[in-house]
Amino acid sequence: MTDLTTRWLGLDLHSPLVVGASPLTDDLDALKACVDAGAGAVVMHSLFEEQLVAEQMAAHRFIDSRINTDAEARSFFPESEVFEMGSSIYLKRLAQLQGSLDVPVIASLNGISPGGWVQHARELEEAGASAIELNLYDLATEPSETAITLEQRQLKVVRSVVQQVSIPVSVKLSPFYSALPSFVAGVEATGARGLVLFNRFYQPDMDLDELALSREIVLSTSAELPLRLHAMAMLFNRTRLEMAASGGVHTGDDATKAILSGATVVQVVSAVLAEGPAAMARITGEMTHRLTGIGYASLAEARGALSLENVPDAGTWERLNYARLLQGWR
Amino acid sequence: MAFKTLDGNEAVASVAYRLSETIAIYPITPASVMGEHADDWAALGKPNLWGQVPGVVEMQSEAGAAGAMHGALQAGSLVTTFTASQGLLLMLPNLYKIAGELTPFCMHVAARSLATHALSIFCDHSDVMSARGTGFALLASGSVQEAQDLAAIGHAVTLESRVPVMHFFDGFRTSHEIAKIVALSDEELTALVPHEGIAAHRNRRMTPDRPVLRGTSQNPDAFFQSREAANPFYQALPEHLEAVMGRFAGITGRQYRLFDYVGHPQAERVVILMGSGAECAHETVDWLMDQGEKVGVLKVRLFRPFATDRFLQALPDTVKHLAVLDRTKEPGAQGEPLLLEISGALMDAYSRGDREVLPRVIGGRYGLSSREFTPAMVCAVFDQLKEASPKTRFTVGVRDDVTNLSLDVDSDLDIESPKTRRALFFGLGADGTVSSNKASIKILGEGTDLFAQGHFVYDSKKSGATTVSHLRFGPLPIRSSYQIRQAQFVAVHAPQFLERFDVLEHAAPGATVLLNVPWAPEQVWDQLSVEAQRVLVERKVHLFVIDAAEVAEKAGLERRINTVMQVCFFALADILPRDEAIAHIKESIRRTWGRRGPEVVRRNVEAVDSALANLHEVPVPGEVTATRSRPPRVPEDAPDFVQKVTRLLMDGQGDKLPVSAFPVDGTWPTGTSQYEKRSIAQEIPIWASDLCVQCNFCAMICPHTAITSKVFEPEVAKGAPETFEAVSESHTPELEGLDYRIQVAPEDCTGCGLCVEVCPAKDRTQPKRKAINMRPMEAHREAEASNLAFLRSLPDVPRDRIPRDFKSLPLLIPLFEYSGACAGCGETPYIRLLTQLLGDRLLIANATGCSSIYGGNLPTTPYTVNADGRGPTWNNSLFEDAAELGLGMRMGLNKLVGRARQLLEDMKGSLPPALYRDLTGPCASLDETAIAARREAVFRLREWLATQQGPEVQELNGLADELCPKSVWVIGGDGWAYDIGYGGLDHALASGQNLKLLVLDTEVYSNTGGQQSKATPMGAIAKFSAAGKETRKKDLGLLAMSYGHIYVAQIAMQSHSNHTTKALQEAESFDGPALIIAHSPCIAHGYDLVHSPAQQKRAVDSWAWPLYRFDPRRIDEGLPPLQLDSVRQKVPMKTYMQEEARFRMLELRDPQRYEQLAAAASDAAREQRELYMQLAGIHFEPHEPPEQKDKGADLHD
Repeated sequence: MTDLTTRWLGLDLHSPLVVGASPLTDDLDALKACVDAGAGAVVMHSLFEEQLVAEQMAAHRFIDSRINTDAEARSFFPESEVFEMGSSIYLKRLAQLQGSLDVPVIASLNGISPGGWVQHARELEEAGASAIELNLYDLATEPSETAITLEQRQLKVVRSVVQQVSIPVSVKLSPFYSALPSFVAGVEATGARGLVLFNRFYQPDMDLDELALSREIVLSTSAELPLRLHAMAMLFNRTRLEMAASGGVHTGDDATKAILSGATVVQVVSAVLAEGPAAMARITGEMTHRLTGIGYASLAEARGALSLENVPDAGTWERLNYARLLQGWR
Repeated sequence: MAFKTLDGNEAVASVAYRLSETIAIYPITPASVMGEHADDWAALGKPNLWGQVPGVVEMQSEAGAAGAMHGALQAGSLVTTFTASQGLLLMLPNLYKIAGELTPFCMHVAARSLATHALSIFCDHSDVMSARGTGFALLASGSVQEAQDLAAIGHAVTLESRVPVMHFFDGFRTSHEIAKIVALSDEELTALVPHEGIAAHRNRRMTPDRPVLRGTSQNPDAFFQSREAANPFYQALPEHLEAVMGRFAGITGRQYRLFDYVGHPQAERVVILMGSGAECAHETVDWLMDQGEKVGVLKVRLFRPFATDRFLQALPDTVKHLAVLDRTKEPGAQGEPLLLEISGALMDAYSRGDREVLPRVIGGRYGLSSREFTPAMVCAVFDQLKEASPKTRFTVGVRDDVTNLSLDVDSDLDIESPKTRRALFFGLGADGTVSSNKASIKILGEGTDLFAQGHFVYDSKKSGATTVSHLRFGPLPIRSSYQIRQAQFVAVHAPQFLERFDVLEHAAPGATVLLNVPWAPEQVWDQLSVEAQRVLVERKVHLFVIDAAEVAEKAGLERRINTVMQVCFFALADILPRDEAIAHIKESIRRTWGRRGPEVVRRNVEAVDSALANLHEVPVPGEVTATRSRPPRVPEDAPDFVQKVTRLLMDGQGDKLPVSAFPVDGTWPTGTSQYEKRSIAQEIPIWASDLCVQCNFCAMICPHTAITSKVFEPEVAKGAPETFEAVSESHTPELEGLDYRIQVAPEDCTGCGLCVEVCPAKDRTQPKRKAINMRPMEAHREAEASNLAFLRSLPDVPRDRIPRDFKSLPLLIPLFEYSGACAGCGETPYIRLLTQLLGDRLLIANATGCSSIYGGNLPTTPYTVNADGRGPTWNNSLFEDAAELGLGMRMGLNKLVGRARQLLEDMKGSLPPALYRDLTGPCASLDETAIAARREAVFRLREWLATQQGPEVQELNGLADELCPKSVWVIGGDGWAYDIGYGGLDHALASGQNLKLLVLDTEVYSNTGGQQSKATPMGAIAKFSAAGKETRKKDLGLLAMSYGHIYVAQIAMQSHSNHTTKALQEAESFDGPALIIAHSPCIAHGYDLVHSPAQQKRAVDSWAWPLYRFDPRRIDEGLPPLQLDSVRQKVPMKTYMQEEARFRMLELRDPQRYEQLAAAASDAAREQRELYMQLAGIHFEPHEPPEQKDKGADLHD
């Protein structure tokens, strides 16, 4: 049977399957069940600086700004009902998970201000995070801002966080870089240890009856996996960064493919959300069965076996594959 | 010594809390804050002096609190309460009991006017004077320091004497004044309180181990002696009090006496009074003595039991002339209570031979309802004492040109020490001015050796409210218990104030004036009115300006300009070194805002750092250059009463109106809010007629009637202003041929944005453009104001032409407009809709609460009249009795209707038969055609009566209008309906009378600041349920349904207006009692109310607020009376809960408890739904129609 132990960001994991950043963070029982079902680590949902700020400002606007405005009503909420609306709730949760789960707990961070990134990263480290996953998310809407400026800003954020914490840092990227390998080289130079490929965005849909946008969380499908496989296959052994597949892993074969294209760990979210912690056991079983069937003794043997570097027909990973496929259909 | 800067309420509550084990309370202004502090401290686990956390319970009324107090005392507990005004009245029966049983107990009253011709939340002593017969000792304090100290003395002396104590201090003036005081430590309190007294109290407790009987019924042979048996305790009280005061002085160095005399040792003229006015008199006496006058003031600390000996000892023998001042009025009395007490004491002294010669005594009233009491008034009283024939009964502080009782006052007199710095701040409620001023007082009070005082005045509007802060600082103790009249610093925090008030009236010569204006410094001078420029020039004012809104906006603080202005104040006032002041401000920001996380602090600090760079001095030229005057406050065509009275009230100059200007009995004209143009919105909705689908949703939801829709005959709109647009009515067949327009009232809109939120019409090429869009007010104000005036002048189409469906109803003329309710208020749309349906025949009995404040608080009120002069008639009796008031109205009205019909019957023989028929046929309340015909018949009746002779003819002429149906509606909030007024509500409903009750359910006491009621839902945080309410919301509707003869509906208008209009009309058409429970989004729910339609829909969809109608008429048809209008639970309970701060706060603080309570709330909804589903499916056998009930005169025949 294939030995599933692996090292990710310097952490020893008993399995490459990891619960990715998701609302499961709030469900300790489900997380415990996932670990029991074989998960090697847990990534918390992101600490969103933007959300923390928004909530503090909402409390300011709708609670605290309504104090001393009226002769009869001094305020509208009890005074004792005052509590931190910053990161403390997240940090408490982190400490709780770290104390309750037998696997590493990786915190995720999505900042909006340079100071916010660094400050929250320090807090996460102090609260006991095994590692930090930086969730870089920059939607370019400003015509005057070039890709270079934006990428430089992102690298600066990563560097400043890496310099400020001693725990390992991974970086979760969007798939939309014109020159991903070059940007990844920049990430590597910051001192970060890992890459998480890729972020899935909550892309709004349209409500054609109302002529408005609608926001619903759509779970991933296995159809989203090839984009990840392609990127990892391309990057494998061209960067020293360890890679995590994120998005589209629903079966053991999906996970196997991710490893074969170069992933060190494989994050699973949608399958667990849809199916419950049992999905973790199922995927673990299926993956073990497949890897063992192929004959891999360890994950290291399997990792990157079908990457651009190792695959016999490397061209298939490259541009021409589209044309060939079409020909094949004819 | 530990100095603290705090207000009277907190100072008193801190002592009472530490010295009590059980605290029973009920919210009432201005005492609510004391109970809130007690609740807060208990929630935080703060112990009392004996290491226990006091049990704090909010009851259903003050009567309930008093009962609970009585019980806790009988159980041997140390008890306190806090109340005022009507609350004290509700406690009276129990206070007699508590005193009759000689129970140690100390309560604290923030003295407030009793409601008579009107309600007033402000200060006088009419409440405590009403309690002077209870047998309580009455202890008066006059400042924050005294209030704290006498609170402690009160708790101690009651334990020593067994006589219960009512400690009182002036509402708002002392209860809300912030002052620097020496705080009492736990050690000092421990040393003061007689521990043997506590043991004795406990030993008297009721216990089956040593059973006794109290509360007997006594006969003539026993009662009288028993009452007299208690005399020694009252005789001993003064001695006990002196002992406690002596002990207190030993502990703290502060000596109080039963009567504290201040003044010349050989004074000839002395004034006697109690409360905060005595501080002003003290200051004035000091000043007069400096002028060489032999005057003095006697401050009464112990009013009851009146200690004649101590009084005589305290009063200098040299006194020849005494003036006794009472802060209350007892119409018809020989004199007010203190005067009578003093007169009696002097007579007693004479009778006993203690005094051979008595001084001449005169008595007057002052300060009713927080009327200012100033040194000039004290001087006027002393001057009166010099008169050979003084007014023996007088008033001071009003100009009485009716009974000529008032004294003349030199209003220019200013005796304040120049060493005391005085600053005035005009702010908006929402801009944080009061909060930052409170912080400034703390900075100066606690960071320097200076004495500090802050007093805050709010207007009565809940949106766009104006606040005036009066701050004093200085090296001398501050006794000025009155508003600042000569300020060295005046800050105007909102530019519109310059156009609305004389904000510079109280600027002293050479004062510094700071304006927040959006203009560049060099433009400021030219923007000012003649009046403003004149003051600035004549008084040689130093003028500074800042665009604080821009600084705050840049820092991400929206319109919260308070910290920016605070920095400017410290920079200009030169009280502290600038850097030190800024460091203090930042620390204060961290202390105040840091508790929620770093972001608010960060933004405020950023604003602080950029403030001074934007502060500019504007040179004041040597002469006035403006030609523009401040615009008139009311239009020139406003009615005479509005011009002469209302205008001055709006200007804040009501004090200057004489007695003769006022109605004698509290009867005021309606329809005055239209004259108070406050222009508080930044942006207002502007109609895009090309997109409008004429759904009228905007007019339906507007909380302020600031956007309306109207149909009119096209030809009447000739001569319309150029920008007046109209389109053909094209969506309602009945209205074909009419023109249609949506109109904003630009100067009445609050800018809440609800209308735009609900507008369903979108430009399909640019869906963000709707049929109404928020646009800058200033750009549209003038045009829309004239469009509005024109639209209002157009005749209404006949009422029976407008269909009674939810889309068309908003086209009916609203008779409730431009109230002072909060922006986004969820209550007011229900009232407006009611007036559209029935306003011209509507009597309203209104419970006290938000709806009575925005509905009936001067200066202007929103209920108005139609073109015929008809409209709602309105009265507010009390908080607790609205249902009874309405019931009485209904019964009284029925009798007048019955009499009119009786007279009609008597004249039947001579009346034209057709007229008789038209006056007696069916005329249902909602049948507009029949009503119009009936009105026309009444008109013909009057014409006929004019040709007849005799007393009955005159009588019928006077009652003829009652031949048209009238409707009586009771309106109130959940505090009334679920708690304090529930007994009456239940009884009125049970009575079977044709009476409609509308409950505007915000699920908390909104008006007093969000205290929980029995309507508060499970899991919500509110005051007195700080940990989240554990029990379910009372199902008021189900209780009413249980009778079977009551129409009951639960409605939610912001999201389901169709259902609401149906329910209101069914209730009105039902010949019997109806209860309508209306979901009312409120700022106390803690979210942006522009989202209230969506959030209310979540409430309905989650079954937090199921919609239903229970119509007893259906039973006769063999149908289940209950119809569920929301059947499925469409979204989880949490989907609703997570959107409101009242639930979210619990989730953030205690996620586990939140989960538990959310699950329990969900279970409760499921159980309620299952029960309701069964009720809605119940099958009754059809039965014979019941016999017609006798209801006197039946209106719906």
